[in-house]
Amino acid sequence: MFEARTNMRRILLAVVSLGAALACVGGPGARNGDANAATDSARAAQGASKPSAAKPSSDAAGVPKVTEIKEDGLKTLLNAGAGRERPLLVNFWATWCVPCREEFPDLLKIKGQYPADRLDFVLVSLDDASEIGKAVPEFLTEVKATSLPTYLLNAADEGAAINLVDPQWGGELPATFLYDRAGKLVFKHKGAIRPEELRAAIEQSLGAKPSEAGSQK
Amino acid sequence: MKKLSTVALLLALSFVAAVAAVRMTKAGSARDDKPAAVALGAIVPDFTLPDPDGRQHTLASLKGKNGTVLIFMATRCPVSNGYNTRMEKLAEDYAARGVNIVGINANSTEPAGEVKQHAAEKGLTFTILKDEGSRIADRFDAQVTPETYLLDASGKLVYHGRIDNSRAGDAITSNDLRDAIEAVLAGKPVQKSEAKAFGCSIKRG
Repeated sequence: MFEARTNMRRILLAVVSLGAALACVGGPGARNGDANAATDSARAAQGASKPSAAKPSSDAAGVPKVTEIKEDGLKTLLNAGAGRERPLLVNFWATWCVPCREEFPDLLKIKGQYPADRLDFVLVSLDDASEIGKAVPEFLTEVKATSLPTYLLNAADEGAAINLVDPQWGGELPATFLYDRAGKLVFKHKGAIRPEELRAAIEQSLGAKPSEAGSQK
Repeated sequence: MKKLSTVALLLALSFVAAVAAVRMTKAGSARDDKPAAVALGAIVPDFTLPDPDGRQHTLASLKGKNGTVLIFMATRCPVSNGYNTRMEKLAEDYAARGVNIVGINANSTEPAGEVKQHAAEKGLTFTILKDEGSRIADRFDAQVTPETYLLDASGKLVYHGRIDNSRAGDAITSNDLRDAIEAVLAGKPVQKSEAKAFGCSIKRG
């Protein structure tokens, strides 16, 4: 009888742990599944170009420098996440987007909290290309966001650009994406950021060991 | 003894199945957090929405003979406003050809009165519906303004996405919505059935 109970317990234990293992399927792994393609392409493109996120973002006069990029530039920017030293935070915004403007104080706090040697943080503006020397730098100056490398995406095919970042993204602004050191998309948020949530994601990406992609170099 | 073990095994297995099922459901809903969206190639189910004067309209009653375009639009979004003239032109150009243009305002921040006034000020003559609670926007999984959905004569969704590739309207090289409408009118398959674009997010209540 005792033996039988032990057997039963064993069976139960085995099955329950199998259940627990199954229960994890579809958890965080599945949620990040859509980021895998980006990671793969990032790995493939590794070494093709230097990460450009660390470029100085303002000229000597202090006017914020905004760099125009197209789809390939965006790809390079995101691919720069592969095997990089620091996680990469990318915020997509536009001067015409009210919630984007409103979240800048929170973005700047994040920037203040995570200096450039810990986190690469770049802005990608979706303003019209004609605003590259006007509305975009003017707004950045106004909100004192001059220390963040800023790009203006002038894509011929916006759909392709959106899919490059995240196929599940509908293109609504603002949108914020965090890539870890392996270039894997580990956090995304559509709409104005919730600072605590973003900070937690950054902390997690900073705490994570340099990933496989880094060691594959 | 064997019987007991078998019962235990069966019990445990059903527990595993239940846990797995719950997890799968959770994973499925966690992916989009919304009910299943209207899918490309599928018939769009009928719905009822009021215009800014409170008159109720069904999708069935607004369908064009040859097709219907639903445009999620806004009163305050600069991107949507950049398309006002082009949206009105679409309505004018295709009315005679049996394709009806219907606007839907699903922004919780833009009340019916504002929608009516905005249409009057901008000279928008096509029907605009007010989607309180963004119920229909949720059903379509519409995210931005403007975002369009083209239904063919049978009510099947054949195109979803932007109107064209130029927000300012001065550099249109890809007239995605018009191309899709022309394909429907010609009885041909729509070549590009989806074209995303950046826009103002729909403000859900």
